[in-house]
Amino acid sequence: MTALASLKLTAAALVLLAGGVVWAYLERSHSVPAMVAPMTLLALNLAAAILVNPKFRRQVPLLIFHIALLALVLLAAAGRLTYLNGRVELSVGEAFSGELLDAQAGPLHPNRLARAAFVNEGFEIDYAPKWKRVQTRNLVRWRGARGEETGVIGDQTPLVLEGYRFYTTSNKGFAPVFVWQPAGGAAQRGSVHLPPYPVLQFAQEAQWTPPGGAETVTVKLPIDTELIDYHNASGFRLPPTHDLELTYGGQTRRLAPGASVELAGGRLRYEGLTTWMGYVVFSDWTLPWLLAAAALAAAALGWHFWRRFAARPWNEARAC
Amino acid sequence: MLALPLLWSALLAYVAAGSTAIIAVALERRPERWILAFLLLGISLHGASLALRWIDVGHGPFITLFEVLSSNIWSLTLIFAVAYWRIPAVRPAAAFVAPVLFIMMGWLLVASPGESHFPPTYRTLWLYVHVVLGKIFLGAVLVAVGLSGVILARLPGREALEELAFRFMAIGFVFETLMLVSGAIWAQDAWGRYWAWDPLETWAFLTWLSLAAYLHARVAFRIGPRASALMILGVFALAFLTFFGVPFVSTAPHKGAI
Repeated sequence: MTALASLKLTAAALVLLAGGVVWAYLERSHSVPAMVAPMTLLALNLAAAILVNPKFRRQVPLLIFHIALLALVLLAAAGRLTYLNGRVELSVGEAFSGELLDAQAGPLHPNRLARAAFVNEGFEIDYAPKWKRVQTRNLVRWRGARGEETGVIGDQTPLVLEGYRFYTTSNKGFAPVFVWQPAGGAAQRGSVHLPPYPVLQFAQEAQWTPPGGAETVTVKLPIDTELIDYHNASGFRLPPTHDLELTYGGQTRRLAPGASVELAGGRLRYEGLTTWMGYVVFSDWTLPWLLAAAALAAAALGWHFWRRFAARPWNEARAC
Repeated sequence: MLALPLLWSALLAYVAAGSTAIIAVALERRPERWILAFLLLGISLHGASLALRWIDVGHGPFITLFEVLSSNIWSLTLIFAVAYWRIPAVRPAAAFVAPVLFIMMGWLLVASPGESHFPPTYRTLWLYVHVVLGKIFLGAVLVAVGLSGVILARLPGREALEELAFRFMAIGFVFETLMLVSGAIWAQDAWGRYWAWDPLETWAFLTWLSLAAYLHARVAFRIGPRASALMILGVFALAFLTFFGVPFVSTAPHKGAI
């Protein structure tokens, strides 16, 4: 136990961890074991030192600092086992159903996404000249403890529901809304998310197959006017007028809102144009505990050095 | 615009202070009042220059290489000047801090002073908290670097300086810890994750580890003043690279995004 608690081992483990971090940074392969192994060694070394090193019993702030560090490592590990980080896009008026476009999650993540329902009610984005995004305001609606609630999120302000944090992103664009009437079936309403705007302003088209349909269509939004003024302060806006280009079965049709086309397997009606917003979804129950442990560690460290340095004036500092 | 002439005047005052400090060490003179006066003159002119630019562009010096270098030259000089004024033992270190600041000033002279966009992710109180903590961290380590220079140059009175350098490194460790914590809070708000091992986060963590290794090595291996001084220079080199190199070569979102 004394060998495991050695300060020399601590210094060696710190160097190993630095090596692991550099390895993960440069190589990206086996990055988890490269960092977890020295971190585990450090945690064991720290735990042993707390148990056997009499210095910790004499110096309470140092003890608190090291316990807080140990707590940080354990909390970070618990967070990795239970976190979720994902992405979702919602059109205006669309409710979040719990389905993500993509996600990474710890093996023990308890999925409660279906309970975190909310509706995107539309957004405003201010732009400075040269298309520099300034501020995003996204109106959202959800069912909370007080019934139907609304709020504005964006930039530094996420929507927090059921432990999930929904952040707006710079990823947003236009979404043509369609009603698909399959032959002999019930009509369905939905939207196609065109590529992000203005980043991909010259590639505003997407391919889509109606649900249960047999034919893939290409949806294109030609934009002839400068929607976001490049030279002056401006805002994200829909085209004042537009026609949608629909390519299917070797032919291209221009559709105004309200127009319909017959496709193999049903009828497609173009309702109009709206927008979509991309959200980052993040969940980690350890966040407040990590913050508390980090704050405690920093405070204890400051306390330790304050006590130590106050014993002898700075102008008389000597090796001790 | 008055900001640039004020800045150039401040740099001249800094050069006067640094040159006087270097010559004083060479000639074994102690013109400490002159050095402090030049430092204060430079800090005042530079502070006015930063304030004018802040008013003019509508945001603080946080975005471009020019702004980051300029604000750090100011904060590093201010922190060193306070240590120089309050702790006489620090004064010989001015001759070794000056070349570091001269390098930064030379770099500043070739950086473009143009404006840049202030991204929405920077519109938070955490920016100021994070930046101020980082500046105190780097300033404390720079004072330790100056003291290490005195130790390595074997100047008179160096025996007492190793403990003093350790104290400044300890202060640096506390403030770097706080800088990392505040940065993580900011990153959570701005990008929806508190830590993602982007280049700046990775190198900042490596700097923290190197500082922790120095503090542990000092106790565990009872390293001598010269080895201690060399380790301090190593930590500073890593911190310098993290502050002024990584943000301007990486494409990570630490600089905001459209």
